[in-house]
Amino acid sequence: MARSLNLHDIQGNVVRAYGRFSFPFARYFFFNISEAKAGRRFVDEVRQNVTTAARWPEQADKPQCTVNIGFTFFGLYQLEVPARTLKGMPHEFAEGMKDRAFVLGDRDVTKVAQDDPNWDEQWDQIWKDNRKPGTGGAHDVHIWISLNAQLETPGTDTPVSALEERTQWLRDLCEASNGGVRLLATQGQDGTAEYQAASAVFEQHGDISLPTPKEHFGFADGIGDPVFDGQLPETKAKDGAIGRGKFVDGKWVPIATGEFLLGHPDESQELPPSAMPPEFSQNGTFMAYRKLHENVSSFHDVMAQEAARFAKVMQISEGEADATLRAKMCGRWADGVPLAHKPTYEEWQKFRAEKDFDNKDPIKALELQMSYLRSPDASNFRYADDMPGFKVPGGAHIRRMNTRDYLDPLNKGGVDGDGKPYPNDGASHALNKRRRVLRRGLPYGASDPTQNDDTTEQGVVMMVIGASLFRQFEFVQQQWVQYGLDFHQGNNTCPMVGEHRHHQRHTIPSDPKTGKPPYVMSKLKTFVECRGGDYFFIPSMTALRMIAIGNVDPT
Amino acid sequence: MPDLDSGHIFLTTFAPILDSGAQAAQPVSFTQAARIALAKMPTAMQSPATQKSGTTSPFAASKRTHLARMFVLNDTIYNGRESKNALLSILSRDDPAVSKPVDRLNTSYLVFCAEIDAVTEDGAALPDQLNAQEQRDVRRSYACSLWETMEADLRAVYVNCVGFDTVRTADDFADYLDRCHVPTTMPFHDYYLEPPAFNKLPWIWLLTLVVVPLLFTLIAFALRIFGVGSMPLIGMNTLTAFLLGLALTVGAGALAARFILSNGDKPLPPAEFDDLPSVLKSLYLQQHFADFVVEAQGSSPQDLHQQFGEFLKTHKPRDRNEPTQVPGVIDARNC
Repeated sequence: MARSLNLHDIQGNVVRAYGRFSFPFARYFFFNISEAKAGRRFVDEVRQNVTTAARWPEQADKPQCTVNIGFTFFGLYQLEVPARTLKGMPHEFAEGMKDRAFVLGDRDVTKVAQDDPNWDEQWDQIWKDNRKPGTGGAHDVHIWISLNAQLETPGTDTPVSALEERTQWLRDLCEASNGGVRLLATQGQDGTAEYQAASAVFEQHGDISLPTPKEHFGFADGIGDPVFDGQLPETKAKDGAIGRGKFVDGKWVPIATGEFLLGHPDESQELPPSAMPPEFSQNGTFMAYRKLHENVSSFHDVMAQEAARFAKVMQISEGEADATLRAKMCGRWADGVPLAHKPTYEEWQKFRAEKDFDNKDPIKALELQMSYLRSPDASNFRYADDMPGFKVPGGAHIRRMNTRDYLDPLNKGGVDGDGKPYPNDGASHALNKRRRVLRRGLPYGASDPTQNDDTTEQGVVMMVIGASLFRQFEFVQQQWVQYGLDFHQGNNTCPMVGEHRHHQRHTIPSDPKTGKPPYVMSKLKTFVECRGGDYFFIPSMTALRMIAIGNVDPT
Repeated sequence: MPDLDSGHIFLTTFAPILDSGAQAAQPVSFTQAARIALAKMPTAMQSPATQKSGTTSPFAASKRTHLARMFVLNDTIYNGRESKNALLSILSRDDPAVSKPVDRLNTSYLVFCAEIDAVTEDGAALPDQLNAQEQRDVRRSYACSLWETMEADLRAVYVNCVGFDTVRTADDFADYLDRCHVPTTMPFHDYYLEPPAFNKLPWIWLLTLVVVPLLFTLIAFALRIFGVGSMPLIGMNTLTAFLLGLALTVGAGALAARFILSNGDKPLPPAEFDDLPSVLKSLYLQQHFADFVVEAQGSSPQDLHQQFGEFLKTHKPRDRNEPTQVPGVIDARNC
């Protein structure tokens, strides 16, 4: 790109997944504004401590604890952002995530609304109260603030004290607002938490506690996040785009900035539609906050049943069957090695040995795994050469979330005379690059798996960022996660994060040359369920200043 | 390729809606009344709300209708004034300050489109080709079958249309729909299991037909310019040869163009298994076979053989008519 991004104007959470920058702890706070002036004063105080995307250390000092802020549609309304600006906001943002439950598959899509009045029964109190009809918005979520913190001491699982200091600072700001801004302390399943805490899953090795890249089902997570133009320094951009950008003329290049930041050209060579004035929207973006509960017991029970049957059908050990099934659901082995590179258990085991992932020293082993996951190798693969899904099943999780070159209409299904899939080396990402999302967030819940079951609190706080929630997040969620037609999977949903009330199957194709039959998993349950959330506008620093001083001139 | 393609008729009809201004006073316009009647007509059972209603589209009674759509076309969409290059506007004295006429339809229309099997008997084999009269027969048969199964629904909508007051019987309705018929030029077929056998053009023959007389003409022209009076070998006067060649080239070009257009008009043959009973049966089988595969996973060869035998006996893959999925639902298990 000819001109670099104004990183000081962009909030840091857009550009960085903090978890990958040694911030393994987070707290997510939500506030209600009842008085506009107090709300603006609150925003003014917070904005002066917001962590921007300025690069560490050359453009800014790396903080001990980051601060980021976003607003719901009614948050902006309460802050008296002018109507002309508000009417330029996208309809899905105005409606909010609760109203989009049918589209997102959060409520039963086989029922009409009046037959499913308690569909959000499992949501946390804060989200049940949010936008509740008849309450006049008294409990609505208006502001989201996230704090991400570093470790106090490596080898422990304690955050820096700055995390609690910042928490107290937010409490004090509310106190000073005389009720104009209220911290909504109704989070969690018991509805009493001040904030949603999140942290990496830690593993205990003797006295040492190590943060891992895993979520609670045991998979390494957050590997293939997209890379956009201007996000990374030039020295890192080339490698960073491999497997995470788009494939053009035989090489990987970053995705257009406008896919993730308003006010920049996007992949259709347009400026994404945005609210007036331009300086209010530019460098801002939208975010879906979703608390995703993981039913770990159901997951392990179903896997045990399926693995027993898979082992019998494939005539392999149950251990191999379990690891293979998990990989065939996800598209990566549990340690993050892509099936596209190591499609069989034997190849994977050999690769692990080569990479020394099982080094006796757990710190060394983790370092080796992390170094691999962050290398281009872990993301550099395609699907156009695997149309039958012999390596990565068509309905696997990562194939749905990021379709890469799979949807090129010139890809050819089936196999050639030698039984090999057709390669289509020049396959394009054209039908994928407008559907990418940035994923931010961390797991939440106890790190010790023995403490967790379906009823305890564990999962992932997921924040999905993109210039259009409708075109990117909602499309992926509705069409690719909760439906299977684009992957020739009929009504089947994503085996890992899809809704399985009605469709419990996942098909695992088999290369006929192996002599093994395909296998259909058929006992899937809903392993991941939403516990609430909403849509937020993540303004630029300029827009934050405009909101804080109450001077947004849309003319 | 109007109307008939791949063994299906792509029916399009436009019935003009009565002009309320020209009729006796009434509480709603005929266009409104047509929309109200359409809003009351149930759609197929394809969403939670329609499944819950328990009523299905009256078109689901047909064993020939793949897709039906009925709507009010209020007017043409005005795209704004035709834009023109500013310099050309000045030269052609097109004053942008003077309004231009706006194209409008003379009335609103009730549009009825349907993709149907091009047959006169339910379940008959799809034809490769039908002449104009045979196509008319298919449309007539279809109109009569609709009248027999959904007369009240049709009356409720069409009563708002010009000339419908004389329709009393199925034959009258068929005549009426025929008067409203508009040939379509854009059929869309989506059931191909493999690419169809396209009507390929004999390009080499067509090019030869045009290029040979053209070359003859050019040679005659060149010789004439260089002062040669007669054609070598044949001895014909070069001017005569040029004129003759030119006439032949134009004639051959016209013939070739006509051939190309008539080739484009030729319908493609039906694909395999794409009559409605076969499509419904395949949807039924697809769902039950998927269930069977899941159930039979890991069975011994003997058990599998026996289970598959039972599957064949129960679901009768070769019998298009039953058991099968009924029209108008999206899940065979809801039948």
